Amino acid sequence: MAVDIPKSFEELPTSAPRHIGRGRRRIEDPALLTGRTQFIDDVELPRMLHCAILRSPFAHARITGIDTQEAEALPGVVAIVTGEDALRWSHPAQSSPEGWGTHCLATDAVRYVGEPVAAVAAISRYVAEDAMELITVEYDPLDVVADPAAAMKADSPLVHAGQGTNVMMDRVFTWGEVEQAFEKADCVVSEEFRWNRMGANPTETFGCICEWDPLDLSLTIRGSIQSPSMFGLGRAATFALPSNKVNIISQPHGGSFGGKGGTRGTDVTCLLSRKADGRPVKWIEDRVEYLTAGGSQAWDRYYSASIAVRNDGIVTGLRVALVDDLGATGEAYGAICAAKPLAAFTGPYTIPVAEYDLKLVATNKVPSGPYRGMGPPPHFFVLEQLMDLAARQLGIDPAEFRRKNFIPKDAFPYMIPSGNEYDSGDYEEVLNQALALADYPALRSAQAEARKEGRLVGIGVASAIEPGVFDWNAYAIVGMPGTGVPEGATVSIDIMGFITVRVGFSLEGQGQYTLVSQLVSDYFGTDPEMVRVVYLDTQSAPPSFGPGGSRLGVAITGAVLGACDRIRTKASQVVAGLMQTEPENIVLRDGQFGIPGVPEAQMSVAEVAGTMLARSDLLPPDVDPRPEATHVWTAAGRTPADEEGRAKSYLTAAQAVHVVQVEIDRETGFVEIQRYCLADDCGTRLNPATVEGQTDGSVAQGIGAALLEEYSFDSDGQPQTTTFMDYLMPTVYEVPTVEKVAVVTPSPFTPLGAKGCGEGAIHTTPAAVLCAINDALAPLGQMAREVPAAPKRLWDLIRLAEDTSAEGSRTG
Amino acid sequence: MAGRQIRVNINGTDHQAIVEPRLSLADFLRHELGLTGTHIGCEHGVCGICNVLIDGRSMRSCLLLAVQVDGRSVETVEGLAEGEKLHPIQEAFMDEQGLQCGFCTPGFIMSLKELLDRNPNPSEDEIKDVLGGSICRCTGYAGILRAVQSAVAKMGGGRPSLLD
Repeated sequence: MAVDIPKSFEELPTSAPRHIGRGRRRIEDPALLTGRTQFIDDVELPRMLHCAILRSPFAHARITGIDTQEAEALPGVVAIVTGEDALRWSHPAQSSPEGWGTHCLATDAVRYVGEPVAAVAAISRYVAEDAMELITVEYDPLDVVADPAAAMKADSPLVHAGQGTNVMMDRVFTWGEVEQAFEKADCVVSEEFRWNRMGANPTETFGCICEWDPLDLSLTIRGSIQSPSMFGLGRAATFALPSNKVNIISQPHGGSFGGKGGTRGTDVTCLLSRKADGRPVKWIEDRVEYLTAGGSQAWDRYYSASIAVRNDGIVTGLRVALVDDLGATGEAYGAICAAKPLAAFTGPYTIPVAEYDLKLVATNKVPSGPYRGMGPPPHFFVLEQLMDLAARQLGIDPAEFRRKNFIPKDAFPYMIPSGNEYDSGDYEEVLNQALALADYPALRSAQAEARKEGRLVGIGVASAIEPGVFDWNAYAIVGMPGTGVPEGATVSIDIMGFITVRVGFSLEGQGQYTLVSQLVSDYFGTDPEMVRVVYLDTQSAPPSFGPGGSRLGVAITGAVLGACDRIRTKASQVVAGLMQTEPENIVLRDGQFGIPGVPEAQMSVAEVAGTMLARSDLLPPDVDPRPEATHVWTAAGRTPADEEGRAKSYLTAAQAVHVVQVEIDRETGFVEIQRYCLADDCGTRLNPATVEGQTDGSVAQGIGAALLEEYSFDSDGQPQTTTFMDYLMPTVYEVPTVEKVAVVTPSPFTPLGAKGCGEGAIHTTPAAVLCAINDALAPLGQMAREVPAAPKRLWDLIRLAEDTSAEGSRTG
Repeated sequence: MAGRQIRVNINGTDHQAIVEPRLSLADFLRHELGLTGTHIGCEHGVCGICNVLIDGRSMRSCLLLAVQVDGRSVETVEGLAEGEKLHPIQEAFMDEQGLQCGFCTPGFIMSLKELLDRNPNPSEDEIKDVLGGSICRCTGYAGILRAVQSAVAKMGGGRPSLLD
C-alpha cells in the first residue's frame, strides 16, 4: 500500500490555523510539575530488593581473592554476585571495535577505577551498602597507563594482556587527492588541540529494576533507558537469551543526552535477580558512581589538524589526526563518537578533499561513551580554530572567510568528501542573519575601543553542521555496518472517535508526545488535548529506536503521518461504499470524510470510526474494519559504506552560525560571555518553542564544555572529579541570554521538511566560544588549544605572554 | 538499627513514624511516604533538585535526616496544587516551557515558592541567587527565567527587571 506522507504543512488535510508549527503547552507537563511522573526510582515492586555495587579503587590490578562470607551473614542480605557469577551466566559486553568488551563484573583483573567487582542485593539500599563494606577484595596492583600517548608505546603496560596492544584501531581514511591539495596550497595552517573528557550528566542518573524469570528464562528490565530496543538486544546477547525473551520497559527519564549508560549496572542487577531466584532487584546509580564510572564520559581527544588554503581564501584540503582515548573497553560507544564526524567532516564548507587519521586507544580509565552530538562538537572546535587561524594569517575577516567557503545554496543536495549528502541549506543567509542580529560591525568597533584600553575582548564567529536523523551505516568504520533505524507508531481511533497513539519511546524532555498530538489533531481535525499518547514496552511496541542522533522528531512525524494516511485509505473505502462512489473520490479535510463540493456527502472521523467498529453490515467486503494503523518510518536512500567509510548516513544537515563576544579577565583568566547571538536553520520547525528550548539547553551544555566541564584523572588513573563540587555544571550564572533568529530551508527528503535539531547548538557553541577567546588572546600572541578553557589555563597563557613581553623588553 | 519516633507535618497532614536515625529526609519522603515528587540529583547537596521547604525555608532533603524534621512542617511539590488547580508557579513553568525532562523542576519550584512567599516582587539578584543554587541540565535556564517572570505576574507581584 502506497503511503502518502505530507512534505509540508500545506499538504496536511486541514485548514489553518494548524496546531503543528506552533509552540503550545505540553501534554507532558502537568504530571511532571506535580511530581506524579513515575521515574525509575519511584517504582516499587512486590518483594523488590536493592542493589549496591562494590567498585575497584585501583585503575589496574589483578584480583587475587574476594571474601563475601561476612557480608552474606548480614541480616537482610539476599544475594551477592562476583566475577564468578558473571562468567557462569553472562557473556562479555559487545564492543566497538569488536573484541574489546569485558564481563559486567571483573573476572580476573580490574582495568579502571570504579569497575564493578561485586554486588549485593538486600532488603534496602542502606543494608546493601552496609554489606558492601563487609566484602574483602585482595588486589595485586599492576602498572597503570592513563595516557594514550604512553599507551601507544611498545613498552606500555597492556590494558588487555591478550590483545598484545592498546591500540583498538589505527586507520587512515583518505577522501580525494589530499597530498596534492596540501602540496599546491599557498598556505597551510597546522595546529594541535586537546579536548578533555566531559559529558552528559543528566540530572537523573541511570537506574533499573531487573527481574529474571527462572521458569520462563526471560528478563524484564525497567529503567531510565534511552534506546529500549537496542538495550534489549544487548541484554539478549549478554545473557544468551532469544531477543523476544527480554522485555524492556523504559520509564520516563530525567534527561539523557546520550549519556545515560547503565548497561554494566543493569547486567550486574540482572545477575543479582537471577541469584535471588527471580526477585526484582533495583539499582539506582548514585551521582558519585555516575561521575566515577557512569555512562557519560565522552571525547577524550588529542588532535593534530591542518587545512590547505589558497591566497584568495579558499580552503582546498583538510587533514585531521585524532587520538581518541576510549578508556578501558570499547563497550560504551566511544568509538562511534569518533566515527560520526564522517557525516559532516568538512562542516558547512566546500573543502573538496580530506583525510582522517584515526587512532582509538585503550587506557586504564572508564570506557568513554556518547554525549549530545556524538563526536562532531570537538571536530568542529578544531576545524573552526583552523579557519580562524587561516583568516588571521591572510588578513580576512573571519565571517567573510567563512562566507567564501560556504557550500552555496544552489549546490544541494551536496555530497561531502567523507561520503554523506547534505539535504538543503542557505548558509550565507544564516550568516547574514546572525551578523545582523549581533550588529557585527558595532561589535568589532567596540572591541577595537576595548583593545585600546588593554582589555581582552574577543569575538567569535563560527559555523557548524548538525547531522540529523542518523542511520547505523554512519558507524561502519568502527564495525557497525548496518543501515536502517525504524521508528513506528500505531494510531487508533476508538468507537467514539477518540484517538490514541502508541509509541515505543518514553518521555525524555523533548516534548515528542506533544508533537505527536499536534500532528494527529491536524490530520483528523481534533484538539491536541483529546489525543492520548501511550508508551509501549519493547514486547508490545512497533519497531522503535527512540530519541538519539537528532532523529526522533523527524522519524516520529513520518511514523504518525504514515499511520494516519493508512487509516485515511481504509476509511475512504468505507465512506466510498456508503456514498456509492469510488474511494479515490473521497477526501479527508478538517475532520470530515466526503465528496468535495457535496455538503450532504460528509461524515466525521468519529462517525466513520464508529461505523467501522460497530456496523459490519454497512462495510464493503474485504475492508479491514479497524480504524487503526501502524506505520514504520525509516529514511529512504541510505547506502552501505564503501571501503573508505563513505555512506549516505544522516538524512538531514541543519546549520548554524553563532556570534559570541567574550571578555577575559587579565587577572583571573575568567571568561565572561557578554553577548551570545545565533542564527540556525533546521528546516521546518514542527514546534518552534520546543526547537528553541533544545537550542537554549544545547548552548548551555556547549558553554559547559567550552569553559567548565572536565573529568580529570591523575597519572595513576584516579578520577579527581567525583562530585558536582569538582565537575562543574553550568548554572544560571554561567549561561548568558541567547539571542536567536531562525532561517527555514525545508528538507526535501523528510516529512513536513523538518530536519533533526535535538542535539543542536553544542555542535557550534564550543567552537564559537573558543574562537572568541582566541580572538581576545590574539593581540597577546597566544592561543587556547585546550578545552575547557578554564581560568587557570587562560591565566597561564596570559602570564606566558606577559613574561615573553617582559623578556622582549629586557633584551630589546 | 533502633528506630526513633518522629512527628512531622507534611503538606498539611500530621505524620507519625518510626525511622532509623540514619534515614535521609529525601528517602523518608520518597520511600516511606511515597512522596516521590521530590527527586534526588546528587546526594551531596550541590544540585538543589531535592529541595523541600522546612518551616517555609528551602533545604536540601538529601542532606537532612528524617529525625531532624521532628516537630517541624515539610512542604513538597505534591502539596502545591489544589486538587486539579495548579499552583501559579506550576502554571508559569507550563506556560513558559520552564521544563524539559522535568526532573529538576520540583526543586526549582520549591525554592521559588520560598522566594515568592517572602517577597512577591524580587529583584534580579534575588531571583538569580535562588536559581543559582540549583542545576538544570535541559533548559539552559532561559525558560525557567521566563517562568519566574510569569509567576511573579500571576502572584500579583510587579514585573521583575530581569528580562526587560
